[in-house]
Amino acid sequence: MEYLHSDVAVHTQQREKLQHFHVLAVDDSLIERKLLERLLRESSCKVTCVDSGDKALEYLGLLDSQEIDRSTASSSSPQSSTQEGLKAVNLIMTDYSMPGMSGYDLLKRVKGSLWKDIPVVVMSSENVPSRISMCMEEGAEEFLLKPVQLSDLKKQLQPHLLKLPVHPKIDITTSNDNGNDSMIIDITMNNNQNVVVSKRKTMTPEPLERRPQMKGLAVI
Amino acid sequence: MDGVAQLQKQLVDYTASLFQEGFLDEQFNQLQQLQDESNPDFVVEVVSLFFEDSERLLNELAKALEQKTIDFRKVDAHVHQFKGSSSSIGAQRVQKVCIAFRNYCEEQNIEGCLKCLQQVKHEYSLVKSKLETLFKIEKQLIAAGGSIPT
Repeated sequence: MEYLHSDVAVHTQQREKLQHFHVLAVDDSLIERKLLERLLRESSCKVTCVDSGDKALEYLGLLDSQEIDRSTASSSSPQSSTQEGLKAVNLIMTDYSMPGMSGYDLLKRVKGSLWKDIPVVVMSSENVPSRISMCMEEGAEEFLLKPVQLSDLKKQLQPHLLKLPVHPKIDITTSNDNGNDSMIIDITMNNNQNVVVSKRKTMTPEPLERRPQMKGLAVI
Repeated sequence: MDGVAQLQKQLVDYTASLFQEGFLDEQFNQLQQLQDESNPDFVVEVVSLFFEDSERLLNELAKALEQKTIDFRKVDAHVHQFKGSSSSIGAQRVQKVCIAFRNYCEEQNIEGCLKCLQQVKHEYSLVKSKLETLFKIEKQLIAAGGSIPT
């Protein structure tokens, strides 16, 4: 019963966490923005779409004019932190080829700013290895090829979800053919950062269907 | 076969033919999967955006290729957009022409570009009419009390 509760708790926490997970999507194409917004909403994220790198910087308060305002204001620090607090962004997803500021330029600006710890995912319809390595070297979290699919997003979002304040234990249940016996395989990290795998039987035999399993992203 | 069942079969068969003939690819399936009770018109909405955008791009392309001195970078930029949008909705044949079109832009080959413009216009009008037919059948099906098979 202990495992049942923790699995359900993790699921709920994941869903709740996602509802507050705010993605800033940047693409000059209206069709792409519509698609991306739908995909992200399907993944239960909050989405803000902008159509250019400049608009993204403006949203983040990083436009040169905004930075100048902040530095000349007498009580600049509290003000800027409130601004950033109101517009908490957990992830930026940007197209690479945009007129004016490219996704790469945007990536550089973000990584050189107060928002540098926010993961930035770059998307492109072109598979150009030098472009990909350039972005990764500049600190991109990931480079996705377009058209982006729901499965790509799930893979993207999963690690951000797993940063939960829970005991890092993954329960994988398996069963023998005769159904009633089930084994639990525990994968844990010990103090020396070694992975320890151990097997044991469940306390009470339960049909596996009733046990929610932690599979990662729960799409509502 | 009753009306609804007949329409459903018509829809399924027509959709299958569009895939078989290469007009649509897997990405169109992805769009359909994103349509549900909370987003009941998603596919029509995205495709309508595609139609509007394509018409704009085709006009821009025609204008750009009529110039005395052709700015191939500009032409390429439009084709790149067209390639992106057609790929996003799964309009495979349009996308393929765009790939060839971009190659001619890179070579600064006017003849090739003009040929591709004609081809892309043709493929676009084909897929447009096919999709409009598809949506018409869907509408008839819903009006007859049926639902779109997933």
